Amino acid sequence: MITIDKVTVGYGTAGFIKAVDGVSLSIGDNEIVGIAGETGSGKSTLMRAVYGDFSTGLRIKDGTITGRFVDQKNGQVIEAPSSRFHRLWWDQMSYIPQGSMSVLNPLMKIEAQVVDGLPKRERGGSRADLRRRIADFLAGFGLEETVLDAYPHQLSGGMRQRVLVAIAAFVNPRLILADEPTTALDVVVQKKILLMMVEIQRRLRNTLVLVSHDLGVHYQITDRLVIMYKGQIVETGPTAEIFANPQHDYTRNLIAALPRLHGKRSVDRVGEAP
Amino acid sequence: MHLLRFIVGRLVVYALVIVFALTVLFFVPRLGPTDPVEAMLAKVSSQGAYMDAAQVDALRRSLADTFGLNGSLLEQYWAFIKRIVFTGDFGPSLSMYPTPVMELIWNALPWTFGLLLTSTLIAWVLGNFVGLLSGWRPNANSSRIMEGIAICLYPIPYYILALVLSILFSYVWRIFPLTTTIRGAPWSWELVSSIVWNSFLPAMSIVIVVFGWWVISVKAQTSALKEEEFARYARLKGLGDGRILTRYILPNALLPQITFLALQIGLMFNGSLITEILFDYPGLGLLIYTAVLQGDFNLLMGTISLSVIAVATATMIIDLIYPLLDPRIRHR
Repeated sequence: MITIDKVTVGYGTAGFIKAVDGVSLSIGDNEIVGIAGETGSGKSTLMRAVYGDFSTGLRIKDGTITGRFVDQKNGQVIEAPSSRFHRLWWDQMSYIPQGSMSVLNPLMKIEAQVVDGLPKRERGGSRADLRRRIADFLAGFGLEETVLDAYPHQLSGGMRQRVLVAIAAFVNPRLILADEPTTALDVVVQKKILLMMVEIQRRLRNTLVLVSHDLGVHYQITDRLVIMYKGQIVETGPTAEIFANPQHDYTRNLIAALPRLHGKRSVDRVGEAP
Repeated sequence: MHLLRFIVGRLVVYALVIVFALTVLFFVPRLGPTDPVEAMLAKVSSQGAYMDAAQVDALRRSLADTFGLNGSLLEQYWAFIKRIVFTGDFGPSLSMYPTPVMELIWNALPWTFGLLLTSTLIAWVLGNFVGLLSGWRPNANSSRIMEGIAICLYPIPYYILALVLSILFSYVWRIFPLTTTIRGAPWSWELVSSIVWNSFLPAMSIVIVVFGWWVISVKAQTSALKEEEFARYARLKGLGDGRILTRYILPNALLPQITFLALQIGLMFNGSLITEILFDYPGLGLLIYTAVLQGDFNLLMGTISLSVIAVATATMIIDLIYPLLDPRIRHR
């Protein structure tokens, strides 16, 4: 679905600050891929480049990111570099941001924010019909219909995050990118939302790319894990294998740093933060 | 129930603010050393009128009565509040005796209101429009030019700009009249065109000065909101620029602007002073000016009270409609 070929991504138009350094990766259909790494490891930059969000001076210096999507309706194959993905936003691909207080427009009701941006194929029927479908969809997330008439500030952090997951999934996209979707939440709510994301992926049989610094999150839901460090991929493989038998020192340290029930967790680390 | 309590509470605050302001207005002149009755008597005798002691006493009593200065301070205060709150009566004008102050104010009010309301609204709409666009595309040439114009206009002192306009357009080029003379029968076309013609220059002077300020403030708002997470999210949803601007940026940028607008409308009674003096416009500002020059105590009280009431009313209206505009303060 997405092929990343020796790509170097960074910021700046005059000078160039490298954030992702010669990374190659291929993301297939029907899988959950996790990208892990510490702050500054380049995981969010890579995700932005994959989504095609080239604003605030982000640019690809070397290499290519290409996508291949099959239109659900007419079976047409769309192949494009990520710089042209913006035409596919909220159609073939959607995005789940970290649900901070200000990610939803404070002056718009939730219903309008779900509808805003929907592709034509999901809009069909009357407004009342659409509302019915959205309400049913939200019910699957444990959200009542009243949420549709609420403003963002009336929802709790967990509800807002569920709304954001629902907005991205209601589009029926082939690819969902999630950037730290559960970081600001407590572990109980976090678990619930992660399970919902897995359920959606299994149902739509699409691709979910999850960026998180929290290895616990990756352990719970991802099929395949990519570990990034200082702008490079240091290890990649099936999640269970990486946890069972980490190859790289950095991965070993990350896993050792996880809280555990028995014994002390390791505090040693390799290198300094990038 | 909740709403009712909110509205009633706000109205009580409104009434308290006005009564408090009237109280200050009542006591401040009375704490000073001048006695308006004695001042009037001195004025009369300095004009060469001869009166014996009994006549002076009678005049003093009758003046004290007209000025409302009989009885103890507390009695006077109570009578004053009662008169203003319940009858809206500020007594006769001293310089244009015996025309009541309220009549003078009612005659002047439509002029000030019409001129300032129109020009403030025009400046607000234009300024918001230009500021929004130049904040959205800060690097476009048109944005830079508009911002340059706004920055040049904004710091010019109002009276300088008004004088320059007046000199250029009614003295050097004689396009617009130098002083305001309204002609025509009531509600005739001639009257309307005469009003528009005479008001054009004073209105322009206000629009130009205020416009710059609106552009700068809305531009700052817009460029900050553009970087907000919800604007980025809307963009990543693939929404077009027009939709992001009208549905996401504009409503959020307008909220503080509406507050400023209301405050400015409230304050415009004070701001009308220079405009109306310079362009000889028959509004409230000119009335205040005459009141000060002629020592017309009642007229001054009336006009100042009115401007206090105007500001208090504007802020109250904003407080009452703000929950309709911003859902975040609707449910407390």
